[in-house]
Amino acid sequence: MPEVEFQGKTFKVDEDGFIDDYNNWSQEWVQFVKKEEGIEELTDEHNKVIDVLREYYEKNGIAPMVRVLSKVTGFKLKHIYELFPSGPGKGACKMAGLPKPTGCV
Amino acid sequence: MADVTLCNKTPINTKEELYALLNDKSGKQYYQQMKELEVDGDALWATIRKSMKSRLKTWLEICAHCGMCADSCFLYLANDKDPKQVPSYKIQSTLGEIVKKKGQVDNEFMRHVMDVAWSKCTCCNRCGMYCPFGIDMGIMFSYLRGLCFTQGFVPWEMKIGSGMHRVFRAQMDVTTEDWVDTCEWMCEEYEEDWPGLEIPVDKEDADIIYTVNAREPKHYPEDLAEAAVLFHLAGENWTVPSEGWEETSLAMFAGDWEGCKLQVESVYDAITRLRPKRMVVTECGHAYRATVIEGPYWAGRKSGQPPVETLHYVEWVAEALRTGKIKIDPAKKIKEPVTYQDSCNYIRNAGLGDIAREIMSYMAEDFREMKPSREHNFCCGGGGGFNGIGYYREQRNKGLIVKRDQILETGAKLVITPCHNCWDAIRDLEEVFKVGIRWSFLKPLLIEMAIVPEHLKVREEEEEA
Repeated sequence: MPEVEFQGKTFKVDEDGFIDDYNNWSQEWVQFVKKEEGIEELTDEHNKVIDVLREYYEKNGIAPMVRVLSKVTGFKLKHIYELFPSGPGKGACKMAGLPKPTGCV
Repeated sequence: MADVTLCNKTPINTKEELYALLNDKSGKQYYQQMKELEVDGDALWATIRKSMKSRLKTWLEICAHCGMCADSCFLYLANDKDPKQVPSYKIQSTLGEIVKKKGQVDNEFMRHVMDVAWSKCTCCNRCGMYCPFGIDMGIMFSYLRGLCFTQGFVPWEMKIGSGMHRVFRAQMDVTTEDWVDTCEWMCEEYEEDWPGLEIPVDKEDADIIYTVNAREPKHYPEDLAEAAVLFHLAGENWTVPSEGWEETSLAMFAGDWEGCKLQVESVYDAITRLRPKRMVVTECGHAYRATVIEGPYWAGRKSGQPPVETLHYVEWVAEALRTGKIKIDPAKKIKEPVTYQDSCNYIRNAGLGDIAREIMSYMAEDFREMKPSREHNFCCGGGGGFNGIGYYREQRNKGLIVKRDQILETGAKLVITPCHNCWDAIRDLEEVFKVGIRWSFLKPLLIEMAIVPEHLKVREEEEEA
């Protein structure tokens, strides 16, 4: 399994660059994905999305639909894309330490 | 006794089984267990005897090993013309061997067959056009995947995909409530710019029933909203069904024949229930193939046709532009060089090449053909489920180079991709090779360049309010 190093930490990643294990997630991982995704500044709103994704995943074992993410965060779809340009199913899930969603994504 | 392993011969039919498999990230345990999976040679042979009809038997027997199919295969070209990537070799050394041995093959061989069936063929059907006998290895590999599925030798994500269809009647965990809620939500979000925008659910006797890919409600709902905007602009009388809205079939990619039937019947049932005049399928290639080309046979429809006339999204767009239902502002036509990715599933399976060029004549000032194009175009590199299988990522990425080079040769930086799978593959090739290209569905581009009729415009007082 490939490894990436960032800010003194080493992360194992899968073939699509998602973290190998949800439990290995850390703030350094968030910073790493921020850089990878070309996100300029990390705000409380990014953190809110991450928290919602992690909470939902812990409870359900799968990433939520965007509708759920929007409802719980109160963010409109366009705003979610402003926060995560590669989309909620890609960049946001990656940053939150979730696995890459399966299916046609 | 219940089968408690993750990797087994039993299709997934419950949420519990589905989530247990999802929890095994990347299928680590699943693929380990696969090494111990017993092959039931008698059952495999019985399945072949029952399901392998004269066309496939003849194709296996008449192959002259002439090698004409070699250069037709993008994976052969991408892998430095490796003889093991010649289509005829790939099918003869897998399906051919299983038949020769009357199903008596071992675990190691079946794992090899799985590798070939899902990482060396995307079922793009291009080879069938170059074989002097018309042998289509894509069709044979689809069949071989079905045999693999019955024995449990199927990639982890494909087993999940088939299970999703069986449990949710969708390739992702989207329920009827989730779907209807998303339709309402998208209207709310877009109605500021498009007053009066509607996504009518379960409207009877509409002119059009619109069906989608589960990725739209699950991850990319803007796709659905944009379809609504374009139907709104065109003044269409349309609807979506509350059930039977999922047009795709990962069950088809998985080789889960029973799952294919269950899924497509849910769409046909919606048509019977709502009596639309026509069906329009979203910008997805395999959804069209699953529901329009293959589906009627899975469902046992004697006509070989879906219950109602069906258009791929590109056919609807061409019609809307041709009849003036949607008018393009000439000043907004795309000025930069642009190219178009012909999706195998509706180019080779349905001959929609002219339709695509007609659309381009309305939208683009400098349209550049890929070489080859139309029905001779190469697979995007990620078809047939290849994009979605992490286990074969290295092989998929290597396969992308043919499409990368084809795009670069056109000189265009924008690729129009009216197929979710092609869109994903071209996005991924940009991620992998960083060649500086962009990709887009038709919908967002059309919305940008369409003339908005006066009565549909946002009024100033509404804007100020």
